[in-house]
Amino acid sequence: MTTARFTVPKQRLAQLLKTPGGLPVAEAIAAAQGNLAQLKPLCIGELDRLLATAEKIFAALGSAYDEDGVGALYETAVRGIGLGDVCGAGSVDIALHSLCDLLDHLQTHHRYDPEAVGVHLRAWKLLISTELPPEGAQAVLAGLNKVSALYSSPKAGEG
Amino acid sequence: MGLDPTSRARFNLKDASVLLLDATPLGMSILVQIVTGLGAKTLHRCNDLETAQTAVEGNQIDLAIVDSLPPSGEGYDFVQWMRREAGEPNCYTPVLMTTSHTPRSQISRARDCGANIIIKKPFPPITVLERIIWSSKEGRKFLFSETYVGPDRRFRNIGPPKGGKGRRREDFTATPLPQNHVGLADTVDQLAARARAETAEIDDAPELDGD
Repeated sequence: MTTARFTVPKQRLAQLLKTPGGLPVAEAIAAAQGNLAQLKPLCIGELDRLLATAEKIFAALGSAYDEDGVGALYETAVRGIGLGDVCGAGSVDIALHSLCDLLDHLQTHHRYDPEAVGVHLRAWKLLISTELPPEGAQAVLAGLNKVSALYSSPKAGEG
Repeated sequence: MGLDPTSRARFNLKDASVLLLDATPLGMSILVQIVTGLGAKTLHRCNDLETAQTAVEGNQIDLAIVDSLPPSGEGYDFVQWMRREAGEPNCYTPVLMTTSHTPRSQISRARDCGANIIIKKPFPPITVLERIIWSSKEGRKFLFSETYVGPDRRFRNIGPPKGGKGRRREDFTATPLPQNHVGLADTVDQLAARARAETAEIDDAPELDGD
């Protein structure tokens, strides 16, 4: 049987947060959002750069499972998550999350499907470069999630 | 948690020493822009484990916002190190773990690293502030055991994990409770009431208002 010890530590942060002065919530949130808006051009540029890298890796992959190649694609896609929201393209984050899910499933089961990966990359490009109506973006994302979910179990997606 | 973004309640992060760990320059920029917007002035910006460990060893850290550092997940190792090796007071520092995507193989690592809370990217500033306030709440137990060091993951008194055996003195039973039992296990209504009370507590201006 494992033994455990509990303590209730004093949190300095709790005291600091209550220190006189500070900022009203509304003001702080507005300031943080204003700060983030300045990063928009950088985030768009980085998403474009990551997409170009992902396309290059994808083009070099064959039709068989390639551990390093799939790993490199995952590493590229995961770096983009969170940038879409800052540049007003939150759907890109969802598409990248779906791509990471798919690549994680493929790595787990040592499988590869260029079609499933390719459709994610095309969607990434579409969502970043065009202003789709919300319903259109939702339809694209729903399709991507279905594709990545197909590969969540070892034998799914075959046939 | 439900913090109202239009609230006039005040909070003060000016004197808090905040550690930020993110390996990507833009990821770091996003964190910096959010926490400086929220009023933090003292930032320890770290882009790798080594820098982060040095910052923890040389400073009192009041809040850490740590990325999981995919694909390696080294951010989880850093939090585990902080909980086990950093010593007081930094071992108790509230840690907000950020993650872009958690691979299936790393889920238990994320659960067991000892972070107070995990935030999935993208995260708006209001979410970060809510989590900071929630993580700083006093009175939450901190657990030292062979397999886990960190804040008590049972922060609602609903007994042992579902399907698990009671391992604590206050776990009266290891067997499922009868359907009509009201007591140790909170009812849905009780949980909802507690959630409402917690929200009200966060929104309560006098609690945060230092003026």
